Amino acid sequence: MKPGGKRQIWDEYQKEIADDNYFYVRSCVRQNFFPGAEKTFFRYMKQLGRNVVENPSHTTCSGIGYHSDIVPFETAMTMVARQFALMTEAGYENFVTSCITSFGLYSEVLETWEHFPEVEEQTRIHLRNATGREFLKPKNLAHASDVTFKLRKEIADAGRYRLVNQDTGKPIRVVEHIGCHYSRMFPNKGVGGAEYPYVLVGMIEDWGGEVIDYPERRHCCGFGFRQYLVKANRGYSISASKKKFDSMKPYKPELILTNCPGCPMFLDRWQYAISEMEGTTYGENGQGIPVMTYEELAGLILGYDPWDLGLQVHQVPVEPLLDKMGIPYDPEKKFLDIDGNFIGKPKSPSFLKFY
Amino acid sequence: MGALYEKLRQDVRFVEGLKACLNCGTCTAICPAAEFYNYQPRKLVDILQTKDDEKILELLKSDTIWYCGECMSCVTRCPRNNAPGLLITALRSLSQESGYFTESEKGRQQLAIKRTVGHWILKYGYCLYPSQITPENHPEQGPIWEWEFQNIEKVMERLGANYQKAGPGVLRAIPQEDLDEIKKIFDETGGTARFEKIEEYSKQKAEEMGIQLDDGLKNDYIKHIYTAVNKDHTTGS
Amino acid sequence: MDNTVIVIGGGISGLTAAGMLAQQGLDVTLLEKENETGGHLARWDRLFPDRKKASDVLDFAMKGLNNAKIVTGVTITGISRHQNGFTVTSPLSQYTASALLVATGFELFEARKKEEYGYGIYNNVITSADLEEQFKSGRKVLTSEGKTPGRIGFIHCVGSRDEKVGNLYCSKVCCVTGVKQAIELKEMFPASEVFNFYMDLRMFDRHFEELYYEAQQKWGVSFIRGRLSECSENPDGSIILKTEDTLTGKPLKMTIDLLVLLSGFVPSGGTRGISKMLGLQEGDDGFINSADQHSQNNLSGIEGVFLAGALKGPISVSEAVADARAAAAQVTCYISSIAVTHD
Repeated sequence: MKPGGKRQIWDEYQKEIADDNYFYVRSCVRQNFFPGAEKTFFRYMKQLGRNVVENPSHTTCSGIGYHSDIVPFETAMTMVARQFALMTEAGYENFVTSCITSFGLYSEVLETWEHFPEVEEQTRIHLRNATGREFLKPKNLAHASDVTFKLRKEIADAGRYRLVNQDTGKPIRVVEHIGCHYSRMFPNKGVGGAEYPYVLVGMIEDWGGEVIDYPERRHCCGFGFRQYLVKANRGYSISASKKKFDSMKPYKPELILTNCPGCPMFLDRWQYAISEMEGTTYGENGQGIPVMTYEELAGLILGYDPWDLGLQVHQVPVEPLLDKMGIPYDPEKKFLDIDGNFIGKPKSPSFLKFY
Repeated sequence: MGALYEKLRQDVRFVEGLKACLNCGTCTAICPAAEFYNYQPRKLVDILQTKDDEKILELLKSDTIWYCGECMSCVTRCPRNNAPGLLITALRSLSQESGYFTESEKGRQQLAIKRTVGHWILKYGYCLYPSQITPENHPEQGPIWEWEFQNIEKVMERLGANYQKAGPGVLRAIPQEDLDEIKKIFDETGGTARFEKIEEYSKQKAEEMGIQLDDGLKNDYIKHIYTAVNKDHTTGS
Repeated sequence: MDNTVIVIGGGISGLTAAGMLAQQGLDVTLLEKENETGGHLARWDRLFPDRKKASDVLDFAMKGLNNAKIVTGVTITGISRHQNGFTVTSPLSQYTASALLVATGFELFEARKKEEYGYGIYNNVITSADLEEQFKSGRKVLTSEGKTPGRIGFIHCVGSRDEKVGNLYCSKVCCVTGVKQAIELKEMFPASEVFNFYMDLRMFDRHFEELYYEAQQKWGVSFIRGRLSECSENPDGSIILKTEDTLTGKPLKMTIDLLVLLSGFVPSGGTRGISKMLGLQEGDDGFINSADQHSQNNLSGIEGVFLAGALKGPISVSEAVADARAAAAQVTCYISSIAVTHD
């Protein structure tokens, strides 16, 4: 492989990401399955002197409902409009989403309004009728991983740890996985475009890791919305992830890094489900390949406590990676509540090593 | 050009998504659903561009339009700037508005999604909610989720969430006046009407099929649509 | 008006036209940007359909130059019009003539722009031009690991019929090029498998369809109707293709050792530059419009400026030669004050 070819593409897809003063909207999946991640984002943004605000009146964008087709497009557009109205009311113009499906939905809605101004007009009327609210469109729309990408060098500078194996001195081998709704519909809205996205590669490189490419890198993790939500359809979902795992295994990745909140949940849990069904594990010695989101990794680099980040709620334990990176953690504190009391330990899977 | 095609044309996503297909197959080549199911987005688009209402009606009643995972991989690749993924959203909307969705096994599943995700959006302001993602319905979430589920308040507190409380933060309690606004948005934009239609048509179908359906999730019809899989969906048949 | 003509561009069209004009007694100067004439043809090995040497066609044109003056290494910086014709300026010189024949030709689509095909990233992805060069060099065509390719894939329509890269048009000659090169690789490696992935097979000229037949019947080349969606690379350098076999309606994944991208035509930088200087009419596709595609296909709509060859769009060598001769005839008429259009 010639790395120079990718560099050229990355240079060509530059995306404008605002510098500061972000209006932040949360992710349904991230809040449920990675409850520490968004707090971590706020924490490092503060550490780096950036202003991020949240309006507690904001809600889901309804993206999951929209993409499982129970929510009509007009409804989804008006939900989006309401979020923009809250941003406008707060006096902000830089809109940042935690969820990738959200990012895709906001992008799709803005594009639709560009191509069909009458639809934008209609949405304004709907929002006015339903809530009395008015909105301005954001001047800048970005995903929180874009913002983290923009600040990756500052994070590296402020960092205490690197994506490097402390014993061998070798960079940690990282597979990066981009959420489908980041740049598939609009490649020029993604850092690096759709084929060779750079948003996570940039972080991995600047934090000392080695990026692994593998044949099924671009393949969807398999969320598929209704393909997961309904039990009868989950074969689709697990098969997509399995395809990726089988493809990446020969390259021996030590970490999977994601920017979408749903993807890490699937890439984490499907490793568990596959191990229960077949006995197969994808890491070394019966372990899985740890899966993290960019907030968690940024938090580790900056020296935050792994149990503050929420790494204890991953099914595939992250400890082997922490050990490699020389990041200290107290195993005894993994399952403690805020007062230091032991909550109880989750049961262990049949094959997948768990700590 | 028939009535159904005309209806589809009123959906801007259909207009965006269908220019003219030359059947090159780049969409199907890359489609995760085509790998897994008996499904080819190319064939779907080819049918749509005939504008044949009979064929469109068949699609609206079939499992075919429910295989897509809306990943939009097809959109990235199409050399004619078509978007099979967007066409699917338009077809699924029409199928539910007109009631045809209950004719197919996959289509009938919409009620399960409406009564989960749909209800949670209105009740909590989130598409997903921890107390609703039961380990029973989601064994694949693993023992870690079971643990989180059983100890949700403690886990949320430990991780700095503001679970079910007022003010900003992870999984905060969204104020009722905001949830009321959401409901009004749904009422105003046809979201509530869609929900009602999904219920209405599903009730009819449940009666027809002789399967018990009442409110909530713990009835035979919901259990049936949530789990039924016939073998014709996947390749090899 | 005197009998001076400047031909801009020294590819097959420019050379052919210059020779014909000189033969007809005109005072011809040909200006070529590169240090050598011959254009693309000089880099090709053999031509379809009959597999003759490209150099034969080039030699024929060169022999026919008569006393046409050939000036190479000329970068044209400006063209101005005056009462008696045109002045063409370069950094070192100036050339004047009563008529201009623009034959600035085409370039090949930059295959790396089709990012998902991995040209410039994966070692075993090459273009048809790269392959043609290898044929011309007489070397065996090996993989980047130095092995005989057991399985070879040709991808048709690279950079053509593709809104994603901004080229809606068909580049016409890539299909028959793919068939030709498939046969040539089968001749080189009879035991190898060769697959051509096409959307339509444009066998538009005499003996082209027969070449396709020969590829299948004599050489066992497989033709799969499906456009390449993406490719990726295995650790051993082999390439994984994802397409759909649209005739059976099933997604298809295949590992091959060598992938050849049949890159299409785009207007050359020279064409774009000269077009701006002269104010030529550019079509939506970027190629130059003639005054009328049917009846005045060598006139530009600007008096005294004539057009020949690939700057008007994708064209085969035999057509380019014919078009150049037609353009030359029009120029001669013009210079002789014979009317070239009728009302």
